[in-house]
Amino acid sequence: MSNDRVIPWQPTVIAGPKQALMVTPETAELMIRKSKRPLFVLGPLVKEEPLLSLAVGIAEKWDLPVVTTGNAYKAFNEKGLDSTAYGAVEIVNLLKDPEWKGVNGEGQHDLVIFLGCIYYLASQGLSSLKHFAPHLKTLTICKFFHSNADASFPNMKDEEWLKYLAKMAGQ
Amino acid sequence: MVIYVAPKPKEMKDDFWKSKDIKISIGEIEENEGAKSVEEIPSGPTPKPSITDLRSWDMKLLDRYEPFYAPFCDMCCLCTFGKCDLNGKKGACGIDAAAQQARTVLLASCIGSACHSGHSRHLVDHLIHEFGADHPIDMGMNIDIEAPIMMTVLGKTPKNLGDLKEALDYLEEQMIHLLSACHTGQEGKSIDFESKALHAGLMDNLGMEIGDIAQIAALNLPKGDEDAPLVELGVGTIQTEKPVILCIGHNVLPGAGIMDYMDETGQEEDLEVCGICCAAIDISRYNNRAKVVGPMSKQLKFVRSGVADVIVVDEQCVRTDVLEEAQAKNTAVLATTDKICLGLPDLTDEDADKVVSKLVNKEIEGALILDPEKLGEIAVKTANILSPERANMKMLPDLDEIQKLAAECTECGWCQRVCPNSQPMMEAVTGAATGDFTGFENLYLTDVCYTCGRCEQECERELPLMSMLAKVGERLSKEEKFTIRAGRGPAQDVEIRKVGAPLVLGDIPGVIAFVGCSNYPEGGKEVAEMAKEFLERNYIVLTTGCGAMSIGEYKDEEGKTLYEQYSGDFDARGLVNMGSCVSNSHVVGATIKVANIFAKKPLEGNFEEIADYILNRVGACGVAWGAYSQKAAAIATGVNRWGIPVVLGPHGSKYRRLYLGRADKKESWKIKDLRTGEVLEGEPAPEHLLYAAETREEALPMIAKLCIRPTDTAKGRQIKLNNYLDLYKRYFGRLAPDVHLFIRNEKDIPITYKKDVQKVLEEVGWEPRKIAQEPSLMGMDGD
Repeated sequence: MSNDRVIPWQPTVIAGPKQALMVTPETAELMIRKSKRPLFVLGPLVKEEPLLSLAVGIAEKWDLPVVTTGNAYKAFNEKGLDSTAYGAVEIVNLLKDPEWKGVNGEGQHDLVIFLGCIYYLASQGLSSLKHFAPHLKTLTICKFFHSNADASFPNMKDEEWLKYLAKMAGQ
Repeated sequence: MVIYVAPKPKEMKDDFWKSKDIKISIGEIEENEGAKSVEEIPSGPTPKPSITDLRSWDMKLLDRYEPFYAPFCDMCCLCTFGKCDLNGKKGACGIDAAAQQARTVLLASCIGSACHSGHSRHLVDHLIHEFGADHPIDMGMNIDIEAPIMMTVLGKTPKNLGDLKEALDYLEEQMIHLLSACHTGQEGKSIDFESKALHAGLMDNLGMEIGDIAQIAALNLPKGDEDAPLVELGVGTIQTEKPVILCIGHNVLPGAGIMDYMDETGQEEDLEVCGICCAAIDISRYNNRAKVVGPMSKQLKFVRSGVADVIVVDEQCVRTDVLEEAQAKNTAVLATTDKICLGLPDLTDEDADKVVSKLVNKEIEGALILDPEKLGEIAVKTANILSPERANMKMLPDLDEIQKLAAECTECGWCQRVCPNSQPMMEAVTGAATGDFTGFENLYLTDVCYTCGRCEQECERELPLMSMLAKVGERLSKEEKFTIRAGRGPAQDVEIRKVGAPLVLGDIPGVIAFVGCSNYPEGGKEVAEMAKEFLERNYIVLTTGCGAMSIGEYKDEEGKTLYEQYSGDFDARGLVNMGSCVSNSHVVGATIKVANIFAKKPLEGNFEEIADYILNRVGACGVAWGAYSQKAAAIATGVNRWGIPVVLGPHGSKYRRLYLGRADKKESWKIKDLRTGEVLEGEPAPEHLLYAAETREEALPMIAKLCIRPTDTAKGRQIKLNNYLDLYKRYFGRLAPDVHLFIRNEKDIPITYKKDVQKVLEEVGWEPRKIAQEPSLMGMDGD
């Protein structure tokens, strides 16, 4: 299929006319640069190598505050990355509140980058933010296209995806 | 003569008096402990509540646990104005995305509630026809509060089957109003859709109770028996050389008809009767020779295995293509209820032998038989005839054939993309092409594959992936021999009396109920592991339905299932299989009984006070790790209205709505001490009412945390916090960062974590606070 890269990984999560913009690492970096208060949300699917190091590399390169979901906290903490642990639905619930002060107490975030949450759960969280958090943008850098995000990496094989992440981590 | 019975606990733990047929006549009893009385008891404020009667309670809950919406779809497709895109816009009728989500949840709750209540209506009408309207609702010597939900909601105790009709009449009236609110141009605010969904959930809980007590009383299912027999569970327990009848669904009556016919004709050892989903549980409650294949995730692969000679479907959670699937294996299909007719001719009034003849000669695809007794005869006779001639149908293609088929795979990967659980089907197929079947074996054994068959529908080579899975699993299935304790029904009053105080004070750290379907993210083993974790920590572990089966499917190193390792007592370290879906009512019922028996709260028409008590004082938590259905949505929503939090697995996020608390908002947790009238600073206990966890490791500490209640004694709080902190440390590698929220004064600090906790308390500037003696959400904000 020619447009296979931008059909949602699980095709039935298509929710309506609004679809995510497919982005490359360069565009993703531009979004982070433009953001005043970004947040990096890391899920349990990237708590093993080589993804663990790549995720840490991205967080460090861009000096991103990090939230870990599921049981991802322990692996990242052992890797030396400081993060705040929330359930995926808890952090999404906080992000949709414009009055929330963010993980560092500096104000609500304006860009949330997701990596490594379970696909269908992430899709639901992104849908929630799409509808109820107009104050922020969402970016997913998983190897799956997420149509409910504002911007998403396309569907990819592991090899290409690892290159994308390495590029974002400046490696 | 009137005798006043002293309020002392009953010691009788069995039906000795009944078994000896001893009858004692002492005239009319005016008063008894607990709630049973022949005298009319003054009703509380809300007997037979209408949709709006409990709205103020709902608003209290929804204020603290705000609905969290995650739309599954941006659009509304219900009327001809549409489709309407609700993403940042209102629809043509004026509805917004939040209200549309809440409306969808109400609709789902109505569907779920209607399923249980329709099932119950069917049972009650049939059982009245069989046993008479005056057949007593007798739950045995140790249960005086037979119907705690009915008592609380309707304000009445049912004495006989006929009384259940009044409850059903009330329920059905409510359901009509609730469903009508879903129409375009009716309710307009999400918060009121939520209140209605909570009412639909309450009706669901009521409907379940009606159904289960009707079948317990009339069919003599176990009556709170902690020693209910162990029943055989697993595909490997089925003797395939015998004629096999498979029952799928939830209604006990067809299965009971089959067992009765076999007994009456002396064929009880000649055939195998087995079941999938709750029908299996309820038939085995009726007759413990029936075998349980397993949860609904077994359905397609078991049907494809061809083991069943006859498939009997009743209602709920049955594959809608069961007829097509069965025909491919020359298996006869009998539909048995008005809910599922499958396009089959209604031959209820035809001679049984004629129906059998038509079935075995393939004159008809199957038959609709609405009389359970006749169904029993037809199913048994058909299975006896078909079994020998179907011997070759019980064989699947051999592994060489599987390998050849697998070699046709183009590796497009779409089988994985459409898999609801993102499982590596393509790897399983490409492995099989080289003679390595471990990929298929992993999918088969762990139940991470739900056998939904979406992969097969998508395959561009039309590979029969589910049949291939069934074949590879055939060898493994022979080892699938487990046990499950037959569903025992409700907790006994005498058990509640024993655990009431330690539960409310916190010495028993909680009641945790593993319920629901088999949409597990990592397979059923996780449910068994979670259950074991809490059993070892002295919680009371309840279970029902597919969850109860999944718990039984795993053995320890000594080859014992959890049911063989733990007693069926409703007590600390007890593993209590209450029964099927409709037995979920007894989970709620047990918490209501705590309020009544331990705290002497009157039940009749007193919903708000009872729910307020449960929310603030009974450390109970439901876990529906694989919930998939609208029924599960309705059950959870009803359970939430009673003040019981529920943790879902990650697929639960697709229900579109959760109820999440905000621990960071102090004002949300203020609480009134009814003893002093003071409004006090509270704590997030329980923090959420409906939560979806991403992983088992996240869920475990969350479940422990959700058992914390404001009334815990210092000792009880230490026990609960110790469990929470232990589990958090194990899976997160650190002290739980929110521990300070649950320390009311220094006595609450668990000894093993004292230094660490004190350090946190210093860092956050913690100060001790007053403990509410009678915490309540009532009487605040101008109530």
